[in-house]
Amino acid sequence: MKADIRIAWILARGSERREWWRASLTLIGALLATGSALAAVTVAAVSGQVSLPYAHGLLDRPGERAGVVFTLVLLLVPVLGFLGQCARIGAVHRYRRMAGLRLAGASPGQVRRIAAAESAIACLAGSSAGLALFLGLLALTGHTPRPVAWAGLVAVVVAVPVAAALVSALALRHVVAAPLEYARRTVPSAGRRAALGFLIAATSIALSALLLLFPVGRRVTPPVLLVLALVLLTGAGAIWAAGASAAFIGRTLTRRARRPAVLIAASRLAHDPWAAARTHAALLLVTVVAVGFVGVRAVLLDTLTDSARPMSLAFYTTGIDLAGSAVLVALAISACALAVGTAESLATRRRGLAAQAAAGVPHRVLAEAVLLETALPLAPALLLAGLGGTVVYVGYAMIVVTASVPLLPLLVPVAVLVLCLLAAATSLPLLRRAVNPAELRFT
Amino acid sequence: MSTREPRPSPESSALISAHGLRKSYGRTEALRGASLELREGEILAVAGASGSGKSTLLHCLSGIVRPDEGVVTYGGEQLGLLPEGRLGELRRSDFGVVFQFGQLIPELTALDNVAMPLLLAGMRRGPAQQQAGEWLERFGVRGQAELRPGEMSGGQSQRVALARALVTGPRVVFADEPTGALDTLAGEQVMTALVHTARESATAVLLITHDAQVAAYADREVVMSDGVLRSGSDDVVGQEAARREG
Amino acid sequence: MSTRHVLLGLLAAGPCHGYDLKRQYDARFPQARPLAYGQVYTTLQRLVRDGLAAVDGTDSDGGPERTLYRSTDEGSRELALWTDQITAPAPFVTNEIFAKVVVSILVAAAGAPTGPDGRKPDAAAHLRAQRAAHMERMRELTALKTAPGADLSTVLSADYALAHLDADVRWMTTTTARIDTLTAEVNAA
Repeated sequence: MKADIRIAWILARGSERREWWRASLTLIGALLATGSALAAVTVAAVSGQVSLPYAHGLLDRPGERAGVVFTLVLLLVPVLGFLGQCARIGAVHRYRRMAGLRLAGASPGQVRRIAAAESAIACLAGSSAGLALFLGLLALTGHTPRPVAWAGLVAVVVAVPVAAALVSALALRHVVAAPLEYARRTVPSAGRRAALGFLIAATSIALSALLLLFPVGRRVTPPVLLVLALVLLTGAGAIWAAGASAAFIGRTLTRRARRPAVLIAASRLAHDPWAAARTHAALLLVTVVAVGFVGVRAVLLDTLTDSARPMSLAFYTTGIDLAGSAVLVALAISACALAVGTAESLATRRRGLAAQAAAGVPHRVLAEAVLLETALPLAPALLLAGLGGTVVYVGYAMIVVTASVPLLPLLVPVAVLVLCLLAAATSLPLLRRAVNPAELRFT
Repeated sequence: MSTREPRPSPESSALISAHGLRKSYGRTEALRGASLELREGEILAVAGASGSGKSTLLHCLSGIVRPDEGVVTYGGEQLGLLPEGRLGELRRSDFGVVFQFGQLIPELTALDNVAMPLLLAGMRRGPAQQQAGEWLERFGVRGQAELRPGEMSGGQSQRVALARALVTGPRVVFADEPTGALDTLAGEQVMTALVHTARESATAVLLITHDAQVAAYADREVVMSDGVLRSGSDDVVGQEAARREG
Repeated sequence: MSTRHVLLGLLAAGPCHGYDLKRQYDARFPQARPLAYGQVYTTLQRLVRDGLAAVDGTDSDGGPERTLYRSTDEGSRELALWTDQITAPAPFVTNEIFAKVVVSILVAAAGAPTGPDGRKPDAAAHLRAQRAAHMERMRELTALKTAPGADLSTVLSADYALAHLDADVRWMTTTTARIDTLTAEVNAA
């Protein structure tokens, strides 16, 4: 084991710039995951009716605290999506390296352990940094958690790198089984399984959040379960829609396209439609939540102003605003994941792109193809995600019997699409670098 | 295959001329005062060991890379003075490039890959595909029209790449080790296709290769060593080129 | 190349006279040194003497009288033996280029009297000039084999010559790159 860790360390030190990118971004992802999990544990450890001087007393009662914990745990879902995209940076290179190790005589177990150690080191650094930041924050607020909470905090810091190591070992199982194939492969494997894995992970996160909030013996309220199921179902539908529409649009446009950029984008979609589903999975889930949230917020505020109790209005709006910022954070993380994914895809293809540019394909056409590739499958998937969110809040509006159903949430999918295009556009400077003729020198 | 503009500068038969090219990458001096003349319709081989600066020369001549020093003239225009957009346009219309690999878009079929330069020039999809099909036919890869580059053999995809380079009716084709990844027979097919088409349409070819059997397809050969070009026999091409010591 | 065996092989198709044999030979092996008629004649006589071929009569076809030859059973056996035998892979290498390079180095080091134009022999320059000559010949052969309508025999014999010239060129390239080391070695010995 010591030798394996040493090899992992040597590999990490000798690695190229992209490896450092992955390690740094993974570290940030681990930090985010640790942060939200630590916060959730701390809040969950508070018991009974207390008086805490934060957020207009939102944390005073168990009921609201449960909501906060639930939100914090759900934040893990977009963070997970982000980590998934980070793992793909330099994936081809990493697979080849591991296959090379295997071909050089490493046993399957050794390769698994080396890969696991690599991921665990980056995540341990991230989770330790997260802990440090969180302790600083606790010191600032002057809150001292109960002993049981401390155990929870330590468990989280340890669990993050362990989970990363397990996922990493799992992801490399094909490389371990068939090293020759991966030693030659130039493109990472397709995304259908990755999208499915993400859904399963998101579902288990949601379920564990429920278990955390409602320990055995306490009854889970049916509406909570219903909403959760609805969100997951429409999220799954939207992910499926992203893949299916990418395949359909890709096939159709490949036949009909007139403009070069459309043809390039459509062919890429047709070639690997599930890549879109994989990249956008977390984003689509967040969109369902966002649409539902904006709708519920409007309905809630509507009913609250009607009943006109100014004292508690501040309490409610604080809660809503906190939840709103959680949704925004989730959206931001997902957008970052999309940016990382787009950048990764460009970096992987940079030699081909350089050859295109050398052959005179204008930069504008290549850039347009990158944006189209993001926009084409996202549009129908976002539509479906928006529909799912709408069902959630319209259902809520019918329960509380309000007269007006807000239309504002319908703008959310449009805003998300714009956000995605902006996120994808952040990789365009990289495109300019990727088409550098220096890439042609090593052909 | 496509119409040509009347040729400029009739008094000179040099289509591309380069003078005193220097180019460094970091501390590596790839070109150290290389000079060269490519005549109209001529097939010129640039031979030399790996790392001697051959590819960098091709990149400078085709306007992909700007040299640190020296002048490249094409059709009376100095490439160094042209904006990036115009250079791209030149590479689309007047130049064709073939690399060892990488110039085909992996997700596009052979037919669409060949049609791409025509689409970029604003042609409609139908006619572009038809013309692309004719070129595939010429190079004996019509049967592979619907395959993607990954589904073809190396020789087939190189012939598709040639079709793509020639489809716009360029005046110069730049080929960098076009047979580098092929066995002798496949390489022969690619070279024969290239040379026949070039002679038929009086297209000039700058052929970079380390293989004497490939260089023998050319009309003339220059040898690159240490960033300087020598013509086939003894003399270094260009005056300011530093003579190799020893 | 064993001319007697090739002629025996050509006779296997049926009786033939000397002039036709020469024409067939030159057509079948386009890049080989053309066969002199005198050589055909003496070879045929030796084949008859050894009992491998026999005179099959004469014909005139209106012109001068010509002798027809045919292969004998003995000849067929001999031919079978020959074709079954593996050609020895280059038992001796006569490398005139190498000899000239080494001699140039020796002469230059000896400070011996210079050539007619007062130049010292320069091994590297010699190799470059030789390479240029090789390339010229390779271009000719390539033009020959890529000419429209070239038959396979032409292509294959050109390929054979090209591969050999290519081997020379490769050798010259590596030798040029290591000429300084070679000079040191030759002069030290």
